[in-house]
Amino acid sequence: MQWWCAAQSIPWDWSWRPYPGVWLFIALLCLAYRAFTRGAAPSRLEIARFAGGALVLWVALDWPVGALGSGYLASVHMVQFLLIALLAPPLLIAGLPREALERVRGGRATSVLEFLARPLIALLFFHAIVVATHWPEVVDGLMASQAGSLALDMAWLGGGLAFWWPVVSPIPHRPRFPLGVRICYLIASTVLMTLPYVFLTFAELPFYATYELAPPVGTLSAGEDQRLAGLIMRIGGGTILWTAAGVVFWFWYRSESDPVR
Amino acid sequence: MRAACVAALGAVGLAVFACASPDTAIDRTEGTGELRGLALEQPFEVPEFALTDSRGRRFDFRPETAGSLTLLFFGYTHCPDICPVQMAVLGAALDDLSYADRREIEVVFVTTDPARDTPDRLRDWLDLFDASFIGLSGELETVNEIQAGFHLPPARIEETSPAPGAGEPYLVGHATPIVAVTGDGVARALYPSGVRQTDWRHDLPLLLRLNRSVSQPAGADTRGD
Repeated sequence: MQWWCAAQSIPWDWSWRPYPGVWLFIALLCLAYRAFTRGAAPSRLEIARFAGGALVLWVALDWPVGALGSGYLASVHMVQFLLIALLAPPLLIAGLPREALERVRGGRATSVLEFLARPLIALLFFHAIVVATHWPEVVDGLMASQAGSLALDMAWLGGGLAFWWPVVSPIPHRPRFPLGVRICYLIASTVLMTLPYVFLTFAELPFYATYELAPPVGTLSAGEDQRLAGLIMRIGGGTILWTAAGVVFWFWYRSESDPVR
Repeated sequence: MRAACVAALGAVGLAVFACASPDTAIDRTEGTGELRGLALEQPFEVPEFALTDSRGRRFDFRPETAGSLTLLFFGYTHCPDICPVQMAVLGAALDDLSYADRREIEVVFVTTDPARDTPDRLRDWLDLFDASFIGLSGELETVNEIQAGFHLPPARIEETSPAPGAGEPYLVGHATPIVAVTGDGVARALYPSGVRQTDWRHDLPLLLRLNRSVSQPAGADTRGD
């Protein structure tokens, strides 16, 4: 039995498999939230947002998405990336009450986090992780072991949290990162993600041995699966980022039209 | 300034990603010019044998494949992992060849599960990968004798519960390499499971060149160039 989803050379079937490491991780995440917000009285909306983020993570990491994505289909691996790096982090951050965040400001650990959360640093940090974690040797090397697969998932989550922090979190307040610039930040990300998309979609040969040599699932060839992964990255990632940009624009428009707010 | 440096590093990272390709990623024999498959130190003449193809016709291996580069594989259509991957990778790699080169290559699949691999099933399954792939079947004992002639271990039905033949699924243990046979009937190289499209792309031109040199008189190399 595996504790974390990783590539296996066994044929895929739809029988359920347990991954206790994933359950433990999600449980620890929820316990950490409870401890972090103790005394800060998070609102129901904040709790719902955080729970939504944890749920997205659980879906992405556990059977069947996690199992398929870690060893069988590059397209499902890309779905995992979108869920872990682009969808779960803004929900998790938006679930943190401001009061709890203010309480931990000023420490050494938070100074590192504040450095990572600077918009330009966060943008480049995230996209460096995107490039590194889609590199063939990295993917094939990490997906072969449970620890490696865990490291890849955590890199996506860490990169995603750094990327979304300047957009979603009110702490630290950055007067030089106004809403209009945040929209540019999000659009710049869609542009930066074009490069991996182009190489996945238009490559002549499959990039990843993990998926090219995996026991087949369905009738997709390795090449078709990889092209589908590229399209998922483009369409799914674009949808999330453009939706976020739209939401920020709406806040921006509202603040411009009603300065009192 | 610091931000500009970080930006430059990021740009370099993206540019390096742009330069990555599967060829550079896994080239295990870069610069050697050798086959990525397992070249046989002592190439051997393959046995004469005849089996039945998926149209029910007799297929005499040596005469039917004379002059062609033949890629021969022993497997079965219910195989859950090795066989479909080997065929899919090979089929995709052959798609990259020119028409002239492609015409020089025969892919022959011999079933090690004649009880379940009916001619129709064999044909339908092979068509998933390439309609030109040839499917052959015969008694398992005969197929195992042929495999012995290729120095491959015999196929055997693996013990399952309930017993095979009761209509329940079972697995067949079989050799995994694809054998490359040149047009003079000599086995030259083996391609075990794990060979990728990029490996075939590297080796097929070399194998075709070898095939032309051994199948035709010197100086008569006019095909496919």
